[in-house]
Amino acid sequence: MKQTVTRNGVGAWTTRKYDHEKAVGTLAFTDDLRFGPELLHARAFRSTKAHAEIVSIDVSEAMKVKGVVKVVVGENFVHRFGLYLHDRTPLAVGKVRYVGEPVALVVAETEEAAEEGMLKVTAKYRDLPPVFDPIKAATDNSVLVHPELETYEHVPFITPFPGTNIANWFRIRRGDVEKAFAESKYVVEEAVNCPQIAHGFLEPHCCICKEELSTGNLTIWSTAQSAFALREIIATGLGYPLAKIRVIAPPIGGGFGGKAGMTVEALCLAGAMDPDIKGRPVKLYIPREEVMLTSWVRQAYIAKIKLGIDADGKITAIKNNFYFDTGISAEYGANPVRSAGYSSTGCYYIPNVWTDSYAVYTNKPFGGAYRGFGLPELMGAMEVVIDIAARKIGMDPIEFRLKNMLRTGLPTCTGMPMNAHSLDTIVEKIVDRMKLKEKEPAKRKGWVRGKGFALALKAPAMPADASSSAIVKILGDGGVEVLAATMDMGQGAYTAYAQIASEELGIPIEKIRCYYPDTQSHPYDWQTVASRSCWSMGMAVKRAATDAREKLLALYAEFWQTDPETITIEHGIVKCKAKGKAEPIDVQVQNGFFMPSGKFVGGPIIGSGTFVPPDVVNPDPETGQSPKSVVHFTVGAVGVDVEVDPATGAVEVNKVSAGYDIGKAVSPMNVRGQIEGGTVQGISAGLMEAMYYDEHGKLLTPDFTDYKIATSMDVPGEVDAFWEETPEELSPYGNRGVAEHSMISPAPAINNALFDALGIRIHTYPTGRERVYKAIQEKKRGETDIWEYPYALEQSYKNAVKEWK
Amino acid sequence: MKRDVNFILNGRPVTLSVEPRTTLLRALREYGVTSVKRGCEEGECGTCTLVIDDLAQKSCMVLALEVEGKSVLTVEGLVAPNGDLHPLQQAFVEEGAIQCGFCTPGMIMTAYAFLRKNPDPTEAEVREALAGNLCRCTGYIPIFRAVMKAAKTMRELGSHPGAAR
Repeated sequence: MKQTVTRNGVGAWTTRKYDHEKAVGTLAFTDDLRFGPELLHARAFRSTKAHAEIVSIDVSEAMKVKGVVKVVVGENFVHRFGLYLHDRTPLAVGKVRYVGEPVALVVAETEEAAEEGMLKVTAKYRDLPPVFDPIKAATDNSVLVHPELETYEHVPFITPFPGTNIANWFRIRRGDVEKAFAESKYVVEEAVNCPQIAHGFLEPHCCICKEELSTGNLTIWSTAQSAFALREIIATGLGYPLAKIRVIAPPIGGGFGGKAGMTVEALCLAGAMDPDIKGRPVKLYIPREEVMLTSWVRQAYIAKIKLGIDADGKITAIKNNFYFDTGISAEYGANPVRSAGYSSTGCYYIPNVWTDSYAVYTNKPFGGAYRGFGLPELMGAMEVVIDIAARKIGMDPIEFRLKNMLRTGLPTCTGMPMNAHSLDTIVEKIVDRMKLKEKEPAKRKGWVRGKGFALALKAPAMPADASSSAIVKILGDGGVEVLAATMDMGQGAYTAYAQIASEELGIPIEKIRCYYPDTQSHPYDWQTVASRSCWSMGMAVKRAATDAREKLLALYAEFWQTDPETITIEHGIVKCKAKGKAEPIDVQVQNGFFMPSGKFVGGPIIGSGTFVPPDVVNPDPETGQSPKSVVHFTVGAVGVDVEVDPATGAVEVNKVSAGYDIGKAVSPMNVRGQIEGGTVQGISAGLMEAMYYDEHGKLLTPDFTDYKIATSMDVPGEVDAFWEETPEELSPYGNRGVAEHSMISPAPAINNALFDALGIRIHTYPTGRERVYKAIQEKKRGETDIWEYPYALEQSYKNAVKEWK
Repeated sequence: MKRDVNFILNGRPVTLSVEPRTTLLRALREYGVTSVKRGCEEGECGTCTLVIDDLAQKSCMVLALEVEGKSVLTVEGLVAPNGDLHPLQQAFVEEGAIQCGFCTPGMIMTAYAFLRKNPDPTEAEVREALAGNLCRCTGYIPIFRAVMKAAKTMRELGSHPGAAR
């Protein structure tokens, strides 16, 4: 019997926690915290060279600026940090490796003085040849970005190759692809490339660090998605015990992976831990035009995919070559490379698989976590190649997808059986709602219209043993506090957790509060990434709430001299029909119950819950095979309807329909928010976003004037966001992740729609106005494909798909 | 050399002492009004938007000294004296128009100034009005819903809450 009754439990449409404070502007983000006149401000002096030895750094003029306290250089703070691979120092040591790399940190009494001081620092460099092209970097070792790679520590599940620029090589080897190709009726080999893109969160990174003068204890307030991972990375890099470091994570203004792991905190520590500074708090606010130069972005990629297809249209073999341009650091970026690799048959069942997925160092700002984590990259290529293949063999692209779909129970590329899903229902709905099989005339005079479709899939990408824990406290007035160290960065985690606690406790959601992470008060959680929280932390919160409920019921049972099973909690009222009792939860749950035995029993009710995925096995390093490589996959699909102005190349998206099988919507308001928001972010990435560099490696698009993201004017006329609920077995309520997924496939769906509209294939993202215009002109010259790769003089697509070895 | 600037902040007269180069954004944040956010300080993102004498402005593009004698309204100032949310704030909460919340104060202030001029807009007009305020989380869709809903509520109320300020 269910013993709890509530209106705002799991599955209810409810408003979101902390939105009231956000609407009135009183929620304090990191930059809004005040530290008084002791606070110092830091600003980075940055490299103007892409690759050079540092000959000297002159800080003497900077030190003369009024208010400048200290200028810290790399040699003052030599610590390597990293989540998966310790290849990053906060300040350049001996060498610079990209334009914009922090070389010195000016610490001053005011932000203005720090800026003035920064402008007075000078450095002399001895040029080294840079490498910008990831294909060249991967295949030619004449320039090494990290000659010291051999000495870097790394987790066992990544495979760097010292003496090369390859920071990680992930492989899948299953069956015999060459034999299958030889026996195939059709062989299709195609390539796609995409430049780096940026997260575009509106709150720049901000961090305040303080070293306690006598104890050496560190306190870090930071725009961090993952307070505990941050603490662990700092502790490992410094050789500190965990308890010596406290991380406080105030609300953050958007993350999308860009504030996961450790980002700018070590740079701030280089100031705060300086012997001349320690004891005073140091604030590092990253100005907008330096955000992309200070922390990671999404990796650029070049993907080549070869398919073998039999006479029935069944895909029998796939050979993938993925080159991820990870810039100067793969400390986090090594893992999206792996994530793309172990998902590299996409939404399809393919018996013979060969995948090489490489993280390649180049002399550019670095890649790392970004919403979708390897899957927008994989799908950006694969869903285009599938579309091309279907057309080449004369099949409808949607029928081709359905024929090869990775149905429940079939093995993924790692050999793991696919979980339950209703992808075919989603496809059917989108085909119907978008009239995908009908050609419709353009709504705008003189324009051409096209429709496109793409599937999406993603698993949480994390170490096999990523765990979560939560504490649920019942207060003396029947209120509830949930301590769950997820960062609610807008995805709505605290609303979902409050709904879970309400569901399990029968207490109204208005009486439930969740608090932003603080490692001093909260129990451990690995990270707020991977669309894992409502699943993994959801398990922990559910268990903690259940634990608290059982403790509460046991106390009332003893108090009322009845069985716990006869008691219910309804809207915060504890009831026992048999005994005629109905009482609101009161101070007894805090102070103890005076029992019929004549003794006080109880005391504050604290429930705890923990969770670790029980059965994930890291893929075999040689073959990539694993009985359970990931916890589950969420699948979905996107259909788009676009129009193009042939005169200008302008692209307008008329309508999008996007659906995902999320198992169960714990918090529907937030599920809708994630699908709508991610869809627009995906369209933005597909149509307009790219980081561009000059020939010396200087970023040309550092701010929102030059790096365009979608505005309100770029939103499609209609966005249809929906979901199916095929329950996941091991899950708090059957739910699976959904936050990243909506970002994955809008870009390839648009690419396919543009082909439908124009009849020429664009192999390079973004597929915005300029490139579309060019495609239209190329088509007039008889071209069938366009390929623009920034590092190749030869822009012919036919040459680009030749072997790169 | 600091100078005084006198203006009305959310209905209350204030005097701030600022350097001539100090932007209104930094001056207000220093004073303790932190709903105006530092998203770029280059006039690109709109997170620092507030209303100066009925006109939505990016406060990073205004020097503090420029508001001498003017009326400055931030999102804190939309809350009724009894604590009730303004219909715009209420609609943003109800429609899921807020995710991370960093763009929200600026977005609401832009919408506020817009609805003062155009109380019965089409959705196309709302889209155009909000084009200078970036949002990366919501895809803007629930924001359009919220502004349309608030406009309706305000028309039904027959008055414009906050107008007295």
